[in-house]
Order: sequence, then C-alpha cells, then structure tokens
Amino acid sequence: MLILTIFLTSCSGVKQLEIFKQEVPREKLNLNTPTPLELENLRWIIITSKNADEVFKKLEEQGIDPVLWGLTDKDFELLAKNFARIRNQLKITNDLLDKYKEYYEPEVKKDE
Amino acid sequence: MGIRLFFIGIFISALIGAGGYIFKLQKDNTILKANAVKLESAVSEQKTLIENQKKDFEELLDANKKMNELVSVLKKDLEDLDKRFNKKNRDVGKLAIQKTESIERITNGASALATRCIEIASGSPLTEAEKNATKKSEINSECPSIANPNYIPY
Repeated sequence: MLILTIFLTSCSGVKQLEIFKQEVPREKLNLNTPTPLELENLRWIIITSKNADEVFKKLEEQGIDPVLWGLTDKDFELLAKNFARIRNQLKITNDLLDKYKEYYEPEVKKDE
Repeated sequence: MGIRLFFIGIFISALIGAGGYIFKLQKDNTILKANAVKLESAVSEQKTLIENQKKDFEELLDANKKMNELVSVLKKDLEDLDKRFNKKNRDVGKLAIQKTESIERITNGASALATRCIEIASGSPLTEAEKNATKKSEINSECPSIANPNYIPY
C-alpha cells in the first residue's frame, strides 16, 4: 500500500520550469567619422574670341603660365551638374551612415 | 490479534501515504509558485520586447521618411541648377560672350558656393550664418536644402 501510494504520487509530479538566457552583445565597430573636406576655391576665367589676348597677357603679367584648360559652355554645364550629383550622393551616403549608427548604436549618438 | 495488526498496518501505511502526499503537494506548490513568478517575468520581458520592436519599427519608418525627403530636396537642388542654365531658353555661352566679366564673376561666386556645398555634404558643420539664413540673399543658392535648414523657399 505504501509503495503503491509513493509510486502513484510520483507519477504526476510537476517539473520546475527552466529558462536559459544568455545575451552576448556584439562588439561595436566604432570607426572614426571621416574628417569633413576643406576644399580650395577655384578661379574660373572666361575666354572669348574677343578677350583671349587680353586674358593671356594678364596671366603673364601675374606671373602665371599663359595656358588654360578649356571647357565649352555645354561642358561647363555638365561639369556643374556632375559635381552637384556627386555632392548629393555624398550627402545621401553620409546621412545613411549616420542613420545606421543612430539605429544600431544609439548610446554612441547620445555621447557625441 | 492478527486482524487487528493487519488493520493497524493498513492505518499506519495510509497515514504515511497521506503524509507523503501532502509533503509532495507542498513541494509541487512551491515549484508552481516559482514557475508562476518566472512566467510573469517572461511575460513582462515579452511585453518589453514587443515595445522595443514597436519603437524600432517607428524609428525605421522615420529614418526611411527622412531619407526620402532628403533625396527629393537634393533632386530639387539639381533641377534648380538645370533651370539656372536653361531657364527661358537661356544660353549661358552667348551671355558669356556678351557680358564676359559679369558672367565670370557670377561663375566664380557660384563655384565657391558649390565648393562649400561639397564640404557640407562631407560632414562639415554649418556656420551660424548658414543656419540662420532665411532670405534669398543670405542662402547658399547652390544647395539651400543642405546648407540652410531654416530657409523656406518663397
């Protein structure tokens, strides 16, 4: 009877719940932000068939080699647009990086 | 006498069995209480997780929205540049022949502004004048969307 009682009561035992949890945070990349560009200003000289001699003379007077790299008005327009596109891409890429950093390393953003 | 001993035996066995059963119930009860605490904690953690996921999702939407806004304002800057060259069938080449000096001055001014735009795009901080610019005469006309956050086109 005793054995039977012990046997029956042991059958329907409640098991202790075990929850295992181990979180190991990934190391942060923490790359330095690139230094912003500091660019030099260019000097554009417009040469037409009328002022060409005068322009070269002025260059010589200023001690600058009388030689110029030329662009047509259309190519100048294209150059301006190309630079604007590069600038836009640079801005988008930098902002994208900032957003990623803000999202994945919010505490780094706060520290800054 | 034998029958009495038999019943006493049964009685003692029943007592021991009942005692063991009660002891087991108490043990089970303790475990169940611990389980309940763990479950409550798990539910609470799940709630926090869901809240965090919701927050992450909102951040994702916000980041996406801001990036789309940036792309569209930059596109507008590019369109404005195109307009400056070709507005009302303007021919910059012919203008440069007619007004060489003034077009040269305008070109150099715009070039300096465009250079500053690249510096800003690369992460250079805005100056106070750039931040506070609200008038057309104060802005960087090459890239007002990134150089002058307080400027509202009019």
